[in-house]
Amino acid sequence: MGSSKVQRLSGMQKQVLSLYRGFLRAARSKSEEERCKIESIISQEFRRNAEDVDRKNFLYIEYLLRRGNKQLDQLKNPGTTGLSSLQLHYSHPSSKG
Amino acid sequence: MATNALAGTSLSMRSLLPQTQAFTSISGLRSASISSFGRKNVSFSLQPRSIRLKISCAAKPETVEKVCKIVKKQLAMPETDVVTGESKFATLGADSLDTVEIVMALEEAFGIAIEEDSAQSIATVQDAADLIEEIVQKSS
Repeated sequence: MGSSKVQRLSGMQKQVLSLYRGFLRAARSKSEEERCKIESIISQEFRRNAEDVDRKNFLYIEYLLRRGNKQLDQLKNPGTTGLSSLQLHYSHPSSKG
Repeated sequence: MATNALAGTSLSMRSLLPQTQAFTSISGLRSASISSFGRKNVSFSLQPRSIRLKISCAAKPETVEKVCKIVKKQLAMPETDVVTGESKFATLGADSLDTVEIVMALEEAFGIAIEEDSAQSIATVQDAADLIEEIVQKSS
């Protein structure tokens, strides 16, 4: 694609990147050890979904965004020291047609 | 925050509480609660490249050099690889998630905060360096 300098992101893509950015920011407020764990898990999760989820499956992506935002809210809580407190799911998306 | 039940709608605009946040830098590991979806009133207006280069000087060579090092480290590139101001993140093999990580790393290294809209306009090392110096100057 002969696009301009900056890749044009759809609204949904921007939301995903914004969420990812939010997680990285939240991780900063945790201890150094927990931060490394958080960043590693978040990175894997986002990249796995980037590969597995059909980009046109808008409903599922919206579901993931909502779930991600809830998890991010939990992570922002100072009482949450690490990801063990979060209910992250590792099951593969079963809605692939 | 209420959960929006928008079943049946494939594309939806989320109604989030608008949050006004103004900050110039984040120091160390201490950071306020920042909503990743909130609309920020403070925004930097990016000028077209040609105009920007006329009005203000391009980033200092040392800034570009520092950005290059951080990009290399972030992308786990061999030390022998050449990264210059002209290098495009996409050409270096960075996807959009990598670019987010690079911007976050640059924020910490330079002690600044880069607005999301500004971050999304970064395509080359020079873009990043120019934006960083613009932000640093405004905060000083």
